Amino acid sequence: MTKMECCGPGYSSPAEAIKAPAEKLVYSIAIYTGTGIQKPDYLATVDVDPQSPSYSKVIHRLEMPGIGDELHHMGWNACSSCHNDSSMSRRYLLLPGVRSNNIHVIDTDSDPRAPRIHKIIDGAEIKMKTNLSGPHTVHCLGNEIIISFLGDAKGEAPGGYLHLSKDFEIIGRWENSMGNIKFGYDFWYQPRHNVMVSSEWASPNTFMPGFDLEEVGHLKYGREIHFWDFKKRVPIETFYLGEDGLLPLEVKFHHNPDSTHGFCGAALSSNVIHWWRNASGAWEWEKIIDVENEPHPEWPIPVPGVMSAILISMDDKYLYLNNWLHGDMRQYDISDPHNPKLTGQVWMGGLLGKAPIVNGVKIAGGPQMFQLSLDGRRLYVTTSLFSTWDNQFYPEIRKSGGVMILIDCDPENGGMSINSDFLVDFGKEPNGPSRCHETRYPGGDCTSDIWI
Amino acid sequence: MPDIKIANRNNVIYKVDKNRPLLDSLIEQGLDLPYGCKYGGCITCAAKLISGKVDQHRQVALNNRQINNGYIVLCVARPKGDCTLEIGVESHDTLYRNPFLDPLEPHELKKDIAKNEKTKNGIL
Repeated sequence: MTKMECCGPGYSSPAEAIKAPAEKLVYSIAIYTGTGIQKPDYLATVDVDPQSPSYSKVIHRLEMPGIGDELHHMGWNACSSCHNDSSMSRRYLLLPGVRSNNIHVIDTDSDPRAPRIHKIIDGAEIKMKTNLSGPHTVHCLGNEIIISFLGDAKGEAPGGYLHLSKDFEIIGRWENSMGNIKFGYDFWYQPRHNVMVSSEWASPNTFMPGFDLEEVGHLKYGREIHFWDFKKRVPIETFYLGEDGLLPLEVKFHHNPDSTHGFCGAALSSNVIHWWRNASGAWEWEKIIDVENEPHPEWPIPVPGVMSAILISMDDKYLYLNNWLHGDMRQYDISDPHNPKLTGQVWMGGLLGKAPIVNGVKIAGGPQMFQLSLDGRRLYVTTSLFSTWDNQFYPEIRKSGGVMILIDCDPENGGMSINSDFLVDFGKEPNGPSRCHETRYPGGDCTSDIWI
Repeated sequence: MPDIKIANRNNVIYKVDKNRPLLDSLIEQGLDLPYGCKYGGCITCAAKLISGKVDQHRQVALNNRQINNGYIVLCVARPKGDCTLEIGVESHDTLYRNPFLDPLEPHELKKDIAKNEKTKNGIL
């Protein structure tokens, strides 16, 4: 049933979103920052329509105005959270530059195949007006936008949240207090429960130059997640995850807006943390997935998985995760969120040598960012993490660039397999090898929409 | 005005202002250099100092091993006199290391925590 008043962006419910037409285009950022190629980072349009002659190819490249942004994550101006607001549309994609602090607002509607720059919010202006730097996650908030920043203007933690109007004007800081939060990173909110959860990476001055393991011991990296009173915009409860939760990065609630269950991937511990609100109304957490470190002939210690991303399918049935250093993508059935069951696993690149070549292309890096179609069948995976970290763990990526791979997923029975007809080799880009990172679908995907 | 010689660009020499960051002076004169944050917090603009001295007290990105290997971040480094540099990623041979295969000694950490380590050892 379609509601009469509905003509804003997105879908009336997750169940409606699953029925949306399959994506024909996807957008992925691609970087030259830190690669040695003196060109701007860009937004690549990739043709993902199997009937199209340019299927599996980059069909447009929108360069940013300057070099050195390090585009990373991105987000829409609007999602299903304003589905009932006919004045809004999912038209603008916001691309923050982690290093430059610039926010690029991209118009994808005038010509979806060839997006154009609509506006740039200058990084220096953001620093001056809000004392924030190191932008990361973009979420819309009804008809406004909030973006997590990992540092203050000098790159020191914990940063805070930039609040933008629907016309991309700086309103100021979104949060009323950061409480005792030490670091910022990702966040997700579940309005029906008046809760937001945020996670911790490190200060920009710590993570931007690269990863020094010793700095984990010196408490320069996070190990806590935070629960917020979403309306009051203040953190109210913190879970110390300890050794089980080193570098808690991506946080995702169930898509079902009535659910209190959510998940966090702790990258260095390579664990999935599950939280929920119990019958007496208190938040609880537990570790539900623990990826063991793997021996490597040349390493003095076993290799951690480095679970840098997680994703929940729109039907809340599957959790997907990556192990960037091991080289595998996994699918878990989380129908019972306390007892996940491994239902699929594929290998691409990584340090363990399980799948150095995929579809005829030698892979530098491992599975890193991924995005799932609304129907849960097509998972697009890219291989670069962050320029400086790539250069440390996979130095060959300078010459070979990143790739985008398609994994076919079976939402009925579980299971995943690499699609042999699709691979976008960013090593063959016209200006030289670039590195693709986060991917978004014009009609929405499994990390873009929240229901109020 | 100090002379800045770029060893891996045919030893071309630029005259620069002592009081300005090298990145600004060199880009202004047409040298194509990588950069990122422009405040000394990331190592995108790192170059190797082959000879000479710079003041880069504002940088917060390099650990002491990288500094001992000669790296400077051009966006905040100011020359104290004539210098010879290697620039770009060709100069980054020892800038990046796998942190698991090649750990840092306590004195090789970034200056704020290397100092803590020293104090701790001093007390012990």
